[in-house]
Amino acid sequence: MGLGTYIVRRILLIIPIIIGVTALVFAITMLFNVYQRATLYVRDPKQLTPQNIQGIIDKYGLNDPFYVQYFRWMGQVLQGNLGWSVTASRPVLDCILDKFPVTFEIVLYSAPIIIFLGIYLGVKSAVHRDTIIDHITRSVSIIGTSLPSFWLAILLISFFYVQLGWFMPTRLSSEVQHFVESPNFIRYTRLNTIDGILNGQLWVTADAFRHLIMPIIVLVIIQIALIIRVTRSSMLEALNKPYIILAKAKGLSDKEVINKHARRNALIPTVTLSGLLVASMLTGLVITETVFNMPGLGSWAARSAQTLDIAAVLGFTMFSAVVFVLSNLIVDILYAYLDPRIRLA
Amino acid sequence: MDSGRWDEIKKSLQPTIKEWKFILSRIKKSPLSLVGVALIIFYILIAILAPVLAPPKPGADPFMVPRDWLLLKRPILERTAPIPPTTNHIFGTTEGQYDLYYGCIWGTITAFRTGVYVTFFVLLVGLVLGVVAAYYGGIIDEILMRFTDIIIAFPGLILAMALVVAIPNVFNLNLSLLISIVLAFLAALIFLSRRLKITTKIISEAILIIAICVLLFVYKIEWMMTINNLDKVLIALILVGWPGYTRVIRGEVLRVKNEDYVEAARAIGCSDFRIITRHILPNSVYPIIIMASLDIGSIVLSAAALSFLGLGAPEGYADWGWLINISRGWIGQAGLFTYLHAFLIPGMFIFTFVLGWNLLGDAFRDILDPTLRRR
Repeated sequence: MGLGTYIVRRILLIIPIIIGVTALVFAITMLFNVYQRATLYVRDPKQLTPQNIQGIIDKYGLNDPFYVQYFRWMGQVLQGNLGWSVTASRPVLDCILDKFPVTFEIVLYSAPIIIFLGIYLGVKSAVHRDTIIDHITRSVSIIGTSLPSFWLAILLISFFYVQLGWFMPTRLSSEVQHFVESPNFIRYTRLNTIDGILNGQLWVTADAFRHLIMPIIVLVIIQIALIIRVTRSSMLEALNKPYIILAKAKGLSDKEVINKHARRNALIPTVTLSGLLVASMLTGLVITETVFNMPGLGSWAARSAQTLDIAAVLGFTMFSAVVFVLSNLIVDILYAYLDPRIRLA
Repeated sequence: MDSGRWDEIKKSLQPTIKEWKFILSRIKKSPLSLVGVALIIFYILIAILAPVLAPPKPGADPFMVPRDWLLLKRPILERTAPIPPTTNHIFGTTEGQYDLYYGCIWGTITAFRTGVYVTFFVLLVGLVLGVVAAYYGGIIDEILMRFTDIIIAFPGLILAMALVVAIPNVFNLNLSLLISIVLAFLAALIFLSRRLKITTKIISEAILIIAICVLLFVYKIEWMMTINNLDKVLIALILVGWPGYTRVIRGEVLRVKNEDYVEAARAIGCSDFRIITRHILPNSVYPIIIMASLDIGSIVLSAAALSFLGLGAPEGYADWGWLINISRGWIGQAGLFTYLHAFLIPGMFIFTFVLGWNLLGDAFRDILDPTLRRR
């Protein structure tokens, strides 16, 4: 099977998964009774009389069988209408588009650090197996996975913000926020660090980074362990392969053997993991964003889950499922490209 | 018991004992895993001794953290402010004058309960569905695996959050419907496992099952359930967690299923149940079960995160995540050290608890990894 056929087949496989995911999300909302669901469509406190609620139930057919409601809802979603978020008092789709850059900016800086540092440390610890480097790396990564992220975030805030005043929570300081929203500042990408450079206002970029550093530290400490572990074990496996012995026998230097022969083959599982990591970060920075008060997707989803804003939770879950499925697709294609055995199977 | 039979049992246990001796010797060699064992034993002791270490008031629910009402009579501005450790409160109090020491001690039991329940049910579901999918294959396998794909496609914490919010506190559990679904599933299994050959025996079995279903619907059994928010967290974590285990167990069973000894067992006419329980499971999933039970740490971490977001334990419940959640408002008030204890102490409890499980899990991962062992 060629790469093209593989990609087409993989894309076709997505359709049933998307249908399943959306049906499952919609099914969860069916756990609420019809009156609770009706309040979703209320835009105005005046509508809360019994007759009006009944009118909404009739209008949107909330007593119809599940599949009828599901297809009606899917029809709306395909037209770009994800419903109305009560917590943000805006359409859900606008909310997602507005909050995505905030999350994206955090991921943009933390993901490369996590992936490259993780690979570096994983390879180092495999090459120097059972030495002091290995022990330190492993201990650090175990401690990272054991730390509750919210607790680490609180400790960072109390130390770096309250005590030292170096870095701050939230996205921008208020006067910078004011300037960014003024007409003098053109928001090309909506990412503050990059827009600051594009506008020639480096102090905006500097301020944005002072607010980004703490979330990045938390994410790196918490997430790096997995990359280190996977890289380490696949590197250990690769180092025992016959072609490594051959390469050494040919008289190649250790550096060449490790970098060109072992690491390349060991990186395949790490590629998969990195793709999934980025996807899960794009959709799941709930705790980090909440503690640091960043107005991103995750904190919005947490708030709307707490206030029973069903339309928002539904929209967010839809969005994250799509991101996940798409990144799975990209990873699979990348995987097939890197490792021809996959597409031949 | 006569001695001959006893010897036989001893002989049959020999490999198991040898295996455990090997595992113990490996654990003894690595100082990090010894720290893990020590931490877990420490927490087990705390959980067992909780009624002695922090005796609850007679008649009160032991899981509700007591408040210091005297402190609540202070001037209005400092009424609820956490106070640092004193002789009355060894760890101090937290927002609302809840006793931190009591909360942390009884929180250990909550943590164990969360971890053990979720692991048990996730494994149970994963084991049953994984074995069924792998052993019978075909359409059952396809349906189950596509379903796990769907759930794995979600970010776990978000799905758990949505479920905690969506599960009602009081609901009528329709036992008739549940039992019928299980019966129908079993019937389909029996039917498909016989390669769709319709015999009189199958027809009679089908009639029996339909009759039971009809009876169940005539005498409707319903069970009014009231659950608190913490139970909802458990249910949500179970619903989110099972697909991963189902997949891994399925893979293991698939690997073992075509071995010669399974073929031999089938040839001498063993039943499916016997083949699965005596030949497939002992050779495939015990390592997975051990690994999964060591995931208790990460489950407690997720539960603590949900409690921290205000979706878990109810007000006043002994739960580490909740204790951190209520003291959140005091971060950054009056310098670093005034209120630090209020979130530092429960956080240390979560951290060391999870660390213990992770250290042990890491040791086991090396021990059980067939490519790295016994050189």
